[in-house]
Amino acid sequence: MSEPNASIHEVMAGVIARELRDRELWFLGMSTGPETILLLTRIPIVAMALAQRTHAPNSWMLVAGWVMNPDVSKAPTRMESEFGTGLGQWPAEAYNNSLAMSYVAARHEIDVGFGSAAQVDKYGNCNTVAIGDYSRPRVRLVGPINQPGHFSLFGREIIIIPHERRNFVDEVDFVSGAGYRGGPGGRERYGLRTGGPTMILTDKAVFRFAEDTKLATLASVHHGFSVDDIVRNTGFVHDYVPSTVPETPLPSNRELDLIRESIDPRRVMLPGR
Amino acid sequence: MLEPDIKLTGLAEAARLIPNGARVHFGGMAVHNHPMAFVRQLLWEGTRDLTVVSHVSANDVDMLIGAGRVRRLEFSYVGLEEFGTAPCFRRAVQDGELELSEYSEPVAFERFACSARGMPFFTTREMFGTDLPSVNPDIREIDDPFGSGRYHAVRAAEPEWVVLHAAAGDRYGNVLFFPHRQLPEDLDLTASRTTRNLIVTVEQIVSHERVRESAYCNLIPRFRTTAIVEVPYGAHPCSCLHVYDQDRKHLAAYAMAARDPEGFRTHLARFVYGVRGHDEYLELIGATTLSRLRHVGGAL
Repeated sequence: MSEPNASIHEVMAGVIARELRDRELWFLGMSTGPETILLLTRIPIVAMALAQRTHAPNSWMLVAGWVMNPDVSKAPTRMESEFGTGLGQWPAEAYNNSLAMSYVAARHEIDVGFGSAAQVDKYGNCNTVAIGDYSRPRVRLVGPINQPGHFSLFGREIIIIPHERRNFVDEVDFVSGAGYRGGPGGRERYGLRTGGPTMILTDKAVFRFAEDTKLATLASVHHGFSVDDIVRNTGFVHDYVPSTVPETPLPSNRELDLIRESIDPRRVMLPGR
Repeated sequence: MLEPDIKLTGLAEAARLIPNGARVHFGGMAVHNHPMAFVRQLLWEGTRDLTVVSHVSANDVDMLIGAGRVRRLEFSYVGLEEFGTAPCFRRAVQDGELELSEYSEPVAFERFACSARGMPFFTTREMFGTDLPSVNPDIREIDDPFGSGRYHAVRAAEPEWVVLHAAAGDRYGNVLFFPHRQLPEDLDLTASRTTRNLIVTVEQIVSHERVRESAYCNLIPRFRTTAIVEVPYGAHPCSCLHVYDQDRKHLAAYAMAARDPEGFRTHLARFVYGVRGHDEYLELIGATTLSRLRHVGGAL
């Protein structure tokens, strides 16, 4: 087999793009720290732009809740803040008051969100609040921010997280984003009518949630990594490795061309490729 | 015609309006538009035992927490965006020194809208499934009397004092806003409608005639305002949207310094207690730094 010329980040963008459908609303909040900005901000933006070019022309991309359908090829080089001059000068189809977006979300109109966390557990519950006991935490994190609504109001949530052992736990110390909360029927017991995570995407692999148990299960491994690599870097203790694990599908040549020629010709979004 | 009350005052006089133990909201969001000069003045004045009711806070609240001035915090986020977690907030919570009441971000916003509507509480479903209700007794379950099921009831923000930073206003307390506003500015407008105990620091005091010429931009009319203070670069090191950017070098240095209590004390000694007033602070930051943060054509 010949070595594919797609980078890991292009592979991740392709995975996300194929999760997205036409006539959907996609919501991307901003994140902090250079690595997280790449994984959780830049890659999903490229993925959304890719989906809009391949199969989803009627979709609507909401960046930071207020920059709508931006021209990704003219993306600002810095995306470190949700507001200010960086995003404010990005050519877009619409800038809307993002307070109104809270109401769009509350109406369950948002189909897909993207989220990350310091911890994700076997049921896809996420934690951005505290590691350890809530009242005297070992590490206090920034707070729930918009995560609760991503997992309660949106149609589905794509969790994107750096593949480090400590990020994958059996049970999160605090639930700020509700996954399947103890398994089948868990969400319903907590009054949740819709939504929930559909995928955990990392820089090494894809996990999905089993239909019957709602447990995170290794769905595919990105090119260049083995199942052993995944096991070494995953803190889950449940049996999450099925008997056969395929390689994550690579982006097609057409998808790669779109990313490289049309979406990100200046290599601002995926600089490392 | 009789002249209305002149609400223009000095930073120290305005800061002394806030009593110990007050329930205060500081405007701005993330690293934008926080009334930082006012926060430094509060530190200088020794104001303490504050309940801070906020939504998305940064170094404003982190400095007050680090100096031991905050008893209780109602919030959704305290962090420095690209510069990571807010070090004093993190330390205080880990040491069990801060009473917390936390909400999801849109709920934290809506608490202010609820106050502005004059209502005591509102309902939401978005925190279902999270552990927030189990650690926050102010999130309570209720039934929809019309039969659609269970909801969380959340109380209105009800700040006793609101302190904002904006671009311009007049001596009577009218405050001008830009026609193209971002979320931090819209949140400030909502917060301005939650109390008449409203203090606004502005980059520039403009003439009353100028306000009347820009009546569409006068979105905090003077009947709301208790005090207005002219404080150029009053949001530094945060941004004042459309006027100047956040000072990324300064914020990065703060994030680094405040990682240990000694470094934080040194930062305060230099930038707060080591200067007599805002003018000396600006001299310390330096004209070159400040002018490089400014936007061309940013003035109203």
